[in-house]
Amino acid sequence: MTVPPPVLTATNIRKSFGDREVLAGISLEAREGEVISILGGSGSGKSTFLRCLNLLEVPDEGQIAIGDVQAPLTRNRHGRLEVSDGRAAARLRTQTAMVFQGFNLWPHLTVLQNVMEAPLRVHRRDRDEVLATARSLLERVGMAGFHAAYPKRLSGGQQQRVAIARALATNPKLVLFDEPTSALDPERVREVLALMRSLAEEGRTMIVVTHEMAFARDVSSRVVHLMNGRVESSGPPAHMFGPDASPAFRAFLSPAAL
Amino acid sequence: MGEHLTFIGSVTAQLVRAVPVTLLILAVSGVCATVLATGLTAMSVARSPLPRLIQRTWTFLFRGTPLILQIFMIYYGFAMVPWIRHGLLWAAFRDPVFCTCLAMTCCCSAYIAEIFRGALAAVPRGEIEAGRACGMTGFLLLRRVIAPSLIRIALPSYSNEIIMMTKSTSLASTITVLDITGVAQQVIAHSYRTLDVFCAAAALYLLINATLSTLLTALERRLDVDRAPTPLAPIPPTLEPLS
Repeated sequence: MTVPPPVLTATNIRKSFGDREVLAGISLEAREGEVISILGGSGSGKSTFLRCLNLLEVPDEGQIAIGDVQAPLTRNRHGRLEVSDGRAAARLRTQTAMVFQGFNLWPHLTVLQNVMEAPLRVHRRDRDEVLATARSLLERVGMAGFHAAYPKRLSGGQQQRVAIARALATNPKLVLFDEPTSALDPERVREVLALMRSLAEEGRTMIVVTHEMAFARDVSSRVVHLMNGRVESSGPPAHMFGPDASPAFRAFLSPAAL
Repeated sequence: MGEHLTFIGSVTAQLVRAVPVTLLILAVSGVCATVLATGLTAMSVARSPLPRLIQRTWTFLFRGTPLILQIFMIYYGFAMVPWIRHGLLWAAFRDPVFCTCLAMTCCCSAYIAEIFRGALAAVPRGEIEAGRACGMTGFLLLRRVIAPSLIRIALPSYSNEIIMMTKSTSLASTITVLDITGVAQQVIAHSYRTLDVFCAAAALYLLINATLSTLLTALERRLDVDRAPTPLAPIPPTLEPLS
């Protein structure tokens, strides 16, 4: 069996905010079609790590590559990493997409315009093609009837489904989910998780920061447990949710397991 | 009574002829101040400290001193400077309308820049991050994501500033410009009917400001797409307007 090529390689990512070390050297590789769930208590650095992967946050140390393209990080004269080439960083980001906890749809654009924005303006794809893709994506996320609606008029679950359609519109190599269901009520959580599950089943490469244990256990191909800015343990869900999981991860799970 | 109405009628006719001067000062300084304020706003968020210092100093000076002093300094003060008096710029600086526009541009740009700066800070971070996350940079991000939100946030305060500017144009009359207020004072000087004339002038300012504020409110409504009182029902996909 051939191993699929890595879509993302992050090596030894470190990040401090002031004196507080949030990421103490995290490495992660995501291969094509993998769904990686990142779990951990609040303050374990999972969101910061995810935001480092598309350079929304610039790590203090480490390397990131999308496919075989290295992120343009170089050391400045103070010895800190910085983005040396904004355009190259932006090009790298065009290969990825992000779904946020707070949806972050653009309020002045309609649902359809939100989905069409990046492929049209950033990737400069053909308008008819983009429109057709956007239509079918909105159909897919169950928002076909809402093309002309503005985001503020939609429920949280609907907004998040549009945000997922927006993320898929450019056909990214990697989709990053930053606690996509944390701002939703339980009813809406289900509809968004079902959608994410169907994306996983069609072979999308996804990295998901989440508190949804059922999703991590049933959908992901690998579970990574972060603690104090490090990978405490990781493995396939069968192992992580089995009897041989690390004590720290079991302790983390125990309140949720009730 | 009949004579009274005739007088007010003829005064109003005289004042109306001065309206273009008032509007000219307002339009020129309004446009210039807005452009300058945009530049100042960009400077206020620059990475290097020098532009930020210039913006802060500009605001400190022009917001901290009375507009009328600025007008006097430019119109009377600069006339004392030999290289202006005898240079090519004198053609501009001897013109009181130019001097008023210059002073108002400098002063109001400081205020408008503060409005823009506040609005920029109020643009939700998440909207900008969503733009960056899909690969937007620089001008595209500014044009498609930041500016639309910024304008909607800034517009109410900006409208207020434009109304203030309309009233400030009357200071031009202190340096011999025959705008609405200037003509009003001229008429009073030989008719002594202070209240009638000033009331007629005030009515004209009210009319200008009412028009401006109606236009700006209409613009505000138009831009406020997502709060427009339209039915919440799902809209059939056939109705989608494509920009």
